[in-house]
Amino acid sequence: MGIADRSRARFAYWLIAPAAAFMVLVHLIPTAAGMFLSLLNLNTFTFQRLFGAPWAGLENYDSILFDSANPLHSGFTNAASNTAFYTVWTVSLTLVLGLAIALLLNRSFPGNRVVRTLMLTPWVVPSFVVASLWQFMWQRDAGIVNKLLVDYLGFVDERPTWLLGENTMWAIIIPSVWRGIPFAMLIFIAGLQAIPPELHEAAAIDGAGPWKRFRHITLPLLRPLIAIQLLFGVIYSAYQFAIPYIMLGSNPGPSADLLMTLIIRQSFSNNLFGYGAAVSTLLMAAMFVWVAIWYRAFRRDLQEVR
Amino acid sequence: MSATTRRRWTNWGLNALAYFVLIVMLAPVFWLVASSTQTTSALASGSYDLLHPTFDAFSDMWNSVDFERYLANSIVICSGAALFATAFASSAGYALARFSFRGSRTYELTVVGTQLIPGSLFLLPVFLGFVWLKQNTPIALLDTHLGLILVYTAFFTPLAIYFMRAFFQAIPRELEEAAMVDGCTRFQAFLRVVLPNATPGLVATFVYAFLFAWDELLFATALTEHRAETIPIGIRNFIGNYSEEYDQLMAAGVVSTLPVIIAFFATQRWLVRGLTAGAVKG
Repeated sequence: MGIADRSRARFAYWLIAPAAAFMVLVHLIPTAAGMFLSLLNLNTFTFQRLFGAPWAGLENYDSILFDSANPLHSGFTNAASNTAFYTVWTVSLTLVLGLAIALLLNRSFPGNRVVRTLMLTPWVVPSFVVASLWQFMWQRDAGIVNKLLVDYLGFVDERPTWLLGENTMWAIIIPSVWRGIPFAMLIFIAGLQAIPPELHEAAAIDGAGPWKRFRHITLPLLRPLIAIQLLFGVIYSAYQFAIPYIMLGSNPGPSADLLMTLIIRQSFSNNLFGYGAAVSTLLMAAMFVWVAIWYRAFRRDLQEVR
Repeated sequence: MSATTRRRWTNWGLNALAYFVLIVMLAPVFWLVASSTQTTSALASGSYDLLHPTFDAFSDMWNSVDFERYLANSIVICSGAALFATAFASSAGYALARFSFRGSRTYELTVVGTQLIPGSLFLLPVFLGFVWLKQNTPIALLDTHLGLILVYTAFFTPLAIYFMRAFFQAIPRELEEAAMVDGCTRFQAFLRVVLPNATPGLVATFVYAFLFAWDELLFATALTEHRAETIPIGIRNFIGNYSEEYDQLMAAGVVSTLPVIIAFFATQRWLVRGLTAGAVKG
């Protein structure tokens, strides 16, 4: 390595140092500490001793995953399946509707630029405002949703209850999708505009209809964008906290309790810190598995982009 | 019907559908604004009077909870964090765009890896670290602006590094090489020649970090008690204590959305370029 190379490398290290320091101090060390806490029996009685709390080894994990007599086990499995349900529906609805709207708006029509810009508005509304707005809209008697469905349009006869019981899951999915669509649309429009129009023209001359062109030209070229949004969409949804917490409180009930609301409630309301840290670690492990699966499925697309 | 007439009708129908979808997507935002101008009783009974708006809710909400404090805290904390995140992300993004150095691949992977950690896992250790600092050193991070600024800087720097890298990759190398021939040091070339050419990227990164910091609830809940509480905490307190006053809650929602809406639409062109460049290039 020559002197010039060494000075270049030293300069590069100085440039990455501040971001690296923040990463180590705020992310890496506290995460390692959090994983260590998951191996302790840390609760109300032992909290004063903190890192010196009694060693529990893998007991927390054992009772969460396998001890069917333990109420914490059923709480975990319920929240885990709710989180999977929430994530699958939120991500797939967001991507499908985002793509459909992108296709609809990526045509030339009067005012299309204004429409595209205004369409971004829901994404800019903060998620805690989204949650409080929809909590108001979902109210059984005073909410505008039931007013529309029952009183004004007459689609349903009985007023549905949204914030209690089975419907609560949809009461958090729908606002999440609503807030997510504009961003998906934005990314897809950028992708659609990068497709050379000649491809479609040539295929049209060869007699390919709109569906065939979408299926064999548009969709394959959008694959890298779908991949990147799937990756971050799943992680973001699996870690969703603000919407259920603001809309439904620290205990959203069995139908809408997500892993994040469960962890925060058990840790900070019930002081089960070791248990909370163990569930967090499992959630993180699940996300690593997801990234591995994702990487296997989309590796080829990533190479094409680079 | 001939083929051209049929195509014209389909086109017309799709245009109408586009406007219909826009109306549906904007309806909740419209309702947020509209209901903030109604009285509590009108909202409860459903006897809305949209033609005669009242702005009482906007004056009452400041007294119900200490909303001014939340708003000021959010503005200070989010601007501070966005400023640091932009500075650190632009220097790190520049390093990754221009230099190959040992460990750069590990660094890149760790940067993405931080996004895989659930906040709930490192929240308690960060809190405990803040408590320890408070008890053993003069460094005050618990319930201070600085504490949240540092945490949010760490949160929003990683993805911003990727934005900035994409922006720097689009700037020709010859630019800083010419500056260095003219006698600039490497750092001066970066500061005086490269950064000004990346202004759209810097603005996009700043606004991205600001928007996401504005939205953060979990760490704000745990790391503040009174002095440094931000808007999401204010909204949560509103719901807890004035759950029936929906006009005021919606007014508070309007006020807490306005700053980010303005920031977003003022910089929309650059932000959209930054977000799509980051995503399209992977």
